[in-house]
Amino acid sequence: MTQGILIKNAYVIDPLSGIRGEIMDIAIRDGRIVEDALPGSEVIDAGGCLTLPGGIDSHSHVCGTKVNFGRYMSPEDMRAGRTSRKGVMHVTSGYSVPTTFGNSYRYSTMGYTTVLEGAMAPLEARHTHEEFTATPHQDMLANTLFDGNWSVMEAVREKDVKRAAAIVAWTLAAVKGFAIKLTNPGGTEAWGWGKDVSHIHDPVPYFEVTPAEIISTMIQANEILRLPHSVHLHCNNLGVPGNFRTTLETMDLAPPAGGDRQTLYLTHVQFHSYGGTTWRDISSKSEEIARSLNSKPQVVIDMGQIMFGRTTTMTADGPMEFKLYMLHHNKWSNHDVELETGSGIIPVYYSRKSLVNCVMWAIGLELALLAKNPWQCLLSTDNPNGAPFVKYPEIIALLMSRRMRENEREEIDPRTEHYVPLFALDRELDWYDIAVMTRAGQAKAMGITRIGKGHLSPGAQADVAIYPLKPDNLDPSVDYQQVMAGFSRTLYTIKRGRVVARDGDVVVEGANSTIWTRSRVPPEYDMGSDPEFTRKFDQYYTVRLRNYPVQDVYLPRGVCIETEAAL
Amino acid sequence: MRVILKTRPRKKPHVPIEAEGIIPQNFLRKNDLTVYEGNRERNLEDLFFVTVEGPAVSPDQVEIILTGDTGRIKRVGEYMNAGRIIIEGDIGMHCGNFMSAGEIIIRGNADAWLGREMRGGRILCEGTAGDYCGAGYRGEKRGMRGGTIEVMGNAGDFVAEYLSGGEVIIHGNCGDLPGVEMRGGTLVIGGNCSRPCGNMTGGTCMVIGDPGELLPSFRRNGSTEVEFGGKKFRMAVFRGDVANRGKGTLLVKEEAIISRSGRDERL
Ligand SMILES: [Zn+2]
Repeated sequence: MTQGILIKNAYVIDPLSGIRGEIMDIAIRDGRIVEDALPGSEVIDAGGCLTLPGGIDSHSHVCGTKVNFGRYMSPEDMRAGRTSRKGVMHVTSGYSVPTTFGNSYRYSTMGYTTVLEGAMAPLEARHTHEEFTATPHQDMLANTLFDGNWSVMEAVREKDVKRAAAIVAWTLAAVKGFAIKLTNPGGTEAWGWGKDVSHIHDPVPYFEVTPAEIISTMIQANEILRLPHSVHLHCNNLGVPGNFRTTLETMDLAPPAGGDRQTLYLTHVQFHSYGGTTWRDISSKSEEIARSLNSKPQVVIDMGQIMFGRTTTMTADGPMEFKLYMLHHNKWSNHDVELETGSGIIPVYYSRKSLVNCVMWAIGLELALLAKNPWQCLLSTDNPNGAPFVKYPEIIALLMSRRMRENEREEIDPRTEHYVPLFALDRELDWYDIAVMTRAGQAKAMGITRIGKGHLSPGAQADVAIYPLKPDNLDPSVDYQQVMAGFSRTLYTIKRGRVVARDGDVVVEGANSTIWTRSRVPPEYDMGSDPEFTRKFDQYYTVRLRNYPVQDVYLPRGVCIETEAAL
Repeated sequence: MRVILKTRPRKKPHVPIEAEGIIPQNFLRKNDLTVYEGNRERNLEDLFFVTVEGPAVSPDQVEIILTGDTGRIKRVGEYMNAGRIIIEGDIGMHCGNFMSAGEIIIRGNADAWLGREMRGGRILCEGTAGDYCGAGYRGEKRGMRGGTIEVMGNAGDFVAEYLSGGEVIIHGNCGDLPGVEMRGGTLVIGGNCSRPCGNMTGGTCMVIGDPGELLPSFRRNGSTEVEFGGKKFRMAVFRGDVANRGKGTLLVKEEAIISRSGRDERL
């Protein structure tokens, strides 16, 4: 056991502590950042290299039934990304849906130490937690799906916000989830009946509620429970030309922020920023979306960037995947989760020869370049929907270099520029912006700075990434290749005070935590003893209420964030 | 150059050997080839008596002769691009994966996945072949793309699955679903089979023996005459698989249709 670590000569950007690029030392002891190193600490000379808090992904699909079915239906994906056993590293395989260790090693060598699984079906939580345990180099959190939850929709119909809050509190604690996720609210459930919803003010068939009512009620419920994160929303009409109107209307639903974080988090907004009426005249509406975002500090989005190449799309948005299937006629999986949600999966290939794909590619970048405040637009690909997360370094380079974007312009469909504003944008993001968009912003938006995530001030968790990049002698707008290479592979990734990866290799077995939330509610709001709620299980579910909660054994190292509900 | 590889007796002869290194281009220079026996890496000499006769300056002058207990050796000829491999007995799975040129001759039987995703060249199997002969890889949308596979005996299920180019000729019977998901190329079945060409979208398949009951998603499209094995046959032409908007061609013997249904109801 060492005495700790002292990182010397680090070029530190720590946005949450207001550090914008200073050469300094970082001392680590007992898994935390401390003021002074103990004598005898292991010294790491960062030699002026870029040193950031550990990377945080606030929306990624890496664990759970849906991801696993992606593996299952695409054995050909396992031919790519094969690595053999090396030191403590297990064999890995897969490119867009790798093995859990494949995901964990690749994230770790890119400096990522925390990942939020974007969509966990509550009923299938055990599978997600089992895979979390096998993703040992990242602390994991699970967005929990409530988009088609019958009990929630009934509470929304009765305009009973408190009951909705109580259902969320019980469910999150039962399935060890972290936050509320709404995927195509109402639409996924409607799909269970062979329908969809196309407007946020249209009623969901059979439930007499609208998506807008579900969203607004859940935002209120979220704040009643004082959850660390806000409602995490995948808007209606994903991937539909002209859907930017739905997105704008949805953004208008976000009430002003009372606390220090947003009240609504919109994920993979690239997929929701389309103009036009059909695939033939699809265009970018990133400017409209960004204008709205820039005027609403209560909203945070992530990009959902697509990158050219092969990947797998997977989402709880079952009807959307069916539409994609009708377009591609390739493989398709469709899944219903009882009284809760559903999902769909299809493999895709994003091509530079496809005008639609080129427009999509441009929109993601535009959102990041047009958002004035980097804290409001976070870097993501909705892994693996837009691209596998291993493409993040390339996206960073594109955002930092206009020249790289111009080079790409030569490669893509020449008509693209008539449909997108990308090539008129001069902005090049700087190192600080990138640090915000890949860790600090995520920590703030997810509300996990309090447990020491996303920053390097004393007391913070010692999650640190040191990249082989010297910002003082590097011009990212020219040296974009180096930027890309640098962000692909840390010199050191330190997690909870331990070096877990060095120069592209994982060096320890790893043991992660799963972070979940529990809101304390008064006894009359305990849904575990609510007769109507219990009846749902007896009458419709395949499991009884008492067998539903995930046992503690599924979370060997659970970290519970407790809140006091304002009920 | 002739390279003779004769298997050495093994303590556990059932443990498979993975030998993708056994291809002509690898024997041009003296090198230390290794193969896997189970999960153990072994030198070629540990498992084979190796004899090299004569010189070669290019891989097409290399002929490899595999002899002995060869039925559990997998991936022989993978990515082969020239020369010849002669297997005196049986051969294990995945023989000739991805081969692009040259020739493989198997005197005995071949296990499954013979010539998987083959690009070119020729494979002749004098015995029988296993399942997935001339097929694609699990999950991929394209299988064999070029070259010729000829099997003198029978073959298993899913022959030429996802065939996209080249020619597969099975002189004996095939199992279930030969030519399933075919995209292109030619499949010839000298004997019987069942449910040929399900979901095919392109290419041509010809069944000289009894094809069993055809899938209902094939549409009659006239007649033609073909020659096979020096004999002429009157064939019914079908297009399909219409369930998959397919434009493939399936030829079956006119008598096979009539004898099955008692009358030619598909005319
Ligand atoms: Zn997602």
